[in-house]
Amino acid sequence: MRTAYIVKGFRTAITKSKRGGLRFTSPVDFGAEIINALLNSIPSLDPAKVDDLIVGNAVSEAEQGLQIARWIGIKSNLPISVPGVTVNRYCGSGIETIAMATAKIQSGMADCIIAGGVESMSLVPTVGYKTVPNYNIAAENPDYFIGMGLTAEEVSTKYDVKRKEQDEFSFNSHQKAINAIETGKFKPEIVPISIDEVYYENGKRKKRNFIVDTDEGPRKDTSLKSLSFLKPAFKPGGIVTAGNSSQTSDGAAFVIVMSENMVKELSLEPIARLITCVSAGVSPRYMGIGPCEAVPKALKNSGLKLNEIDIIELNEAFAAQSLAVIKNLDIDISKLNPNGGAIALGHPLGCTGARLAITISRELKEKNKKYGLVTACIGGGQGIAAIIENLN
Amino acid sequence: MTNRKIKKVAVLGSGVMGSRIACHFANIGVNTLLLDIVTPNLSEEKSADKKNRNQLVNTALENAVKSNPSPLYDKSTIKLISTGNFDDDLSCISEADWVIEVVVENLEIKKQLFEKVEKHRKPGTLITSNTSGIPISLMTEGRSDDFKQNFCGTHFFNPPRYLRLLEIIPGKDTLTEVIDFLMEYGSLYLGKNTVKCKDTPAFIANRIGIFSIMSVFKLMNEMGLSIEEVDLLTGQISGKPKSATFRTGDIVGLDTLIKVANGLEYSLTNPEEKAFFKTPVYLNKMLENKWLGDKTGQGFYKKTKTSTGEKEILVLDLNKLEYKQQTKPRFDWFTAAKQIDNTSDRLKFISTQTDNGCKFLSKLNYSVFEYVSKKIPEISDSIYQIDDAMKSGFGWELGPFEMWDTLGVSRICEAMKSNNIFPEKWVDEMLAKGINKFYKSENGKKYFYDINKGNYELIHSKENFIILENYKNGKPLWQNKGCTLQHIGDGVLNLEFHTKMNTIGSEVLEGLNKSIDIAERDYSGLVIGNNAPNFSAGANLAMVFMLAIEQEFDELDMAIRLFQNSVMRLRYSSVPVVIAPHGLTLGGGCEMTLHADCAVAAAETYIGLVEFGAGVIPGGGGTKEFVVRTSDSFYEGDPQLPTLQQRFTTIATAKVATSAAEAFKIGILHHDKDISVVNIDMQISTAKQKVLELANAGYTQKTRREDIMVMGKTGLGMLYAGAEAFFISNYASEHDKKIAKKLAFVMCGGDLSQPTLVSEQYLLDLEREAFLSLLGEKKTLERIQSLLKTGKILRN
Repeated sequence: MRTAYIVKGFRTAITKSKRGGLRFTSPVDFGAEIINALLNSIPSLDPAKVDDLIVGNAVSEAEQGLQIARWIGIKSNLPISVPGVTVNRYCGSGIETIAMATAKIQSGMADCIIAGGVESMSLVPTVGYKTVPNYNIAAENPDYFIGMGLTAEEVSTKYDVKRKEQDEFSFNSHQKAINAIETGKFKPEIVPISIDEVYYENGKRKKRNFIVDTDEGPRKDTSLKSLSFLKPAFKPGGIVTAGNSSQTSDGAAFVIVMSENMVKELSLEPIARLITCVSAGVSPRYMGIGPCEAVPKALKNSGLKLNEIDIIELNEAFAAQSLAVIKNLDIDISKLNPNGGAIALGHPLGCTGARLAITISRELKEKNKKYGLVTACIGGGQGIAAIIENLN
Repeated sequence: MTNRKIKKVAVLGSGVMGSRIACHFANIGVNTLLLDIVTPNLSEEKSADKKNRNQLVNTALENAVKSNPSPLYDKSTIKLISTGNFDDDLSCISEADWVIEVVVENLEIKKQLFEKVEKHRKPGTLITSNTSGIPISLMTEGRSDDFKQNFCGTHFFNPPRYLRLLEIIPGKDTLTEVIDFLMEYGSLYLGKNTVKCKDTPAFIANRIGIFSIMSVFKLMNEMGLSIEEVDLLTGQISGKPKSATFRTGDIVGLDTLIKVANGLEYSLTNPEEKAFFKTPVYLNKMLENKWLGDKTGQGFYKKTKTSTGEKEILVLDLNKLEYKQQTKPRFDWFTAAKQIDNTSDRLKFISTQTDNGCKFLSKLNYSVFEYVSKKIPEISDSIYQIDDAMKSGFGWELGPFEMWDTLGVSRICEAMKSNNIFPEKWVDEMLAKGINKFYKSENGKKYFYDINKGNYELIHSKENFIILENYKNGKPLWQNKGCTLQHIGDGVLNLEFHTKMNTIGSEVLEGLNKSIDIAERDYSGLVIGNNAPNFSAGANLAMVFMLAIEQEFDELDMAIRLFQNSVMRLRYSSVPVVIAPHGLTLGGGCEMTLHADCAVAAAETYIGLVEFGAGVIPGGGGTKEFVVRTSDSFYEGDPQLPTLQQRFTTIATAKVATSAAEAFKIGILHHDKDISVVNIDMQISTAKQKVLELANAGYTQKTRREDIMVMGKTGLGMLYAGAEAFFISNYASEHDKKIAKKLAFVMCGGDLSQPTLVSEQYLLDLEREAFLSLLGEKKTLERIQSLLKTGKILRN
């Protein structure tokens, strides 16, 4: 089997949906900016040598429709000969694409693939414009189609996760993220995006420009007290609030995955390698618990034990499900989400997996650690887990 | 009106008339059962299937619906028509409130059918025959009293959707209530001009109409005029349909013409009159040759191709019965007469000429005037019923008595007498009383000379109508060359356009602003309506073209601003403004309609934003209004773009609704505020009522809007891509694409980065900029020039 390496990875700043810096920019446009930054960062790579562009995306319609990968490719500096494919494993999409790229290269089907994900939650509603639960499934198991917030409530009840724990977890996420931003830890990951805006003011059309280069989600001013005052967002008397749930966001993140041969040919220094990536199914009603099934499978696959993992990026869809997973898998929280998670930074669905892969690769390198685990729960009842090895 | 309700109609017979009558009932929303005979000559096996048995009626209905012009306001209303056959389904007529027989004109067949109908028909149900020639009295022999009392003739004219005449012919046993009901139902619900006839041969319209044609045949023969000359003289120039005499004959079919004439010749008893309806030899010869007109490819005219392949229309030489090349007739006065828009003025002018052509027209008039004067009371008790029948059945702009009035009753009487033609003595008696006109109008009401009473009487059936002509003897409130403002009672004003084709230029706009000023000061509200054939053909393109050619862009900008400001004033005034579109209501006329508080549209309204044909986008608020309506139709979770795309396409394909019903469908009329009326004579009175309704409900001036959602770049990408697709697929030219992209830009509120709420004025500014920039395009000017010169749309 050939070896596939992650040689570069970039992302946009993760911005607040509907209010943030990317709120009106097409994901095709900001996705293409990341592709261009990747290509620019490896001048020796002939863009025509890119075999494919694999884009994770969760709600592939409207601005994200028409098979968005193709349009990101066309908008970017990739030549028209480079194809593109869109992949959807909801919140696992962005890591799934890196796994697919890796597997293709390992099997000899490709030498160079750009993989990652993109999501604009500003422009496309989370459940799309026409939501149609299957009649037969809905007749038998209508609970399978409940909203994500309610699944978090269900997990809280089933695994006895208290409100206070959730708020504390969330507060910590913000603290860690603020710290990461203030110490400039994300700077090397983020490609600044220049936005030209045409807007309406006093009956006239006007223009302005601004730069998006900083994650917008983390709140310096948040406190345990203010989090504890928030009302339940999904169920009267419930404990899941806007404050202990992930934020809806816009963003894109991509990596270049390359064969060993090509890495050598171009004299590149790879940053990481994806050892394994697996998914597992759980009841849609308790979708947040998905990592509990996926992580053991990934560990088994890789022959590693959980205590051999140095850093864990567990996607914070909800504090409730994160805490349930931590309890069930007995995770050492000192290794968990060192730069904060989606509760602070935001969760642009299709992008998140790739964002976590980029962040964990950098973190492993900086801390000189070997193994990282990226895991996420997935709407519809799945978990995904990937193990990444730092090569330095 | 009595308390009859027509919920279901059964039409028996699905021929050309039957199927189209069924369609017209569907037009007004009535469930209709259309029955005909079982498909003949079916094998036993095929006969077992109902579908085969109904094939005849179904094919007839299909053909009717496909025919052009369409018998349906909106093709989807066909669902209101169910079909069946006499053998299987006649019992269903028990559910009908009105049974109309439209089978072949054969007394025995009709009587047999009525015998069967009697078995299934509920007592009290209306039962009528659409005969054009068979005496009503003969049809009910052997029928019950109830049948006879509820029976009469209802004579529709072809095509029933478009021709407004409905002759109601009572039998001797018919209940008065039945006749009163049908007179009113026909008018109010079916939109017809209902004329009560007597049970005399061919009733009113065909009796007088065929008499007039026979007179033409005789006079042209005496005076040595050709077919071409006669068609020029008896067409639009003399207030008759464009197709005049012979062309009409070809359209209707010579066989039909001969059949009615023969029927009259057969059934009339006065030998002199009988002889008059004897058809000329050439006509019978043509019938033998099957030269029946359009249906057999040749009649009085014949379409052929020259040796070089060009289309040519030959004309029949009536003496030799051979087709020959047409010769262009010449009458010295013709061009001058053509310039006179008003029919009465034109007829007066023509009557002062002295050449052969005018003599022919005068003699034709004398002949018809004499005849109609003598046919009262034989075929009708009152003059207006004869005038109504001729106007709505034969497309005469003025009825014979109205024409006589126009030319001067006593002057014409003298002229007739010097030609040895004598009108019936009641005319002299009328003149002797010092009454020198058949009609008079006072305070908006029209009165006719009642022969029995020897004095003027109000035309009762028309009390509810507002006909602007009837206000003309009073002084208008305000007037300029383009329009007139009248008080039509109860504090409501009416602004009438009277420019050529009612186009909208600076005079009309001045009138509009002035009218609103006056209404705001002293009145309850304003109706914008007229009784011309068309409401308005749109903005005055000639003026736009002239300014554009001279590159007077500042003036153009001013002109367009004036238009925009005027339609905005129409919406944002302190009094209700109700508009009454009918006939052609295009471009600027449509834009006005879009802005009114309410549109009371005639069912026959052909309305649309046709600016693409002139190489521009709607610039008088039409584009803006479509954006407003797009925005107003958005709802939470709406993907929005399909709505925008639909609105965009309506303008970009210059879609014209072919009825008010269709105008509602394509979003030009709006169910929340607009209504349609089937009877066009009710239009202005309904509009007036609407003004009062709005005023009495407490009309408050609306506030200019700043909350219109535009899509910006979110929509622009899709519309640009769509325009390109139309271009690549050859549905649009390069220039069409350019106009479409300008339209897209305006409709999206420009290239805004995201959907944004904007003001109406912002959209008007964008719309005006786009309009002006297109007027700087050579191809746009070529399009306007083509429209002005030939009336045809240039696809460059």
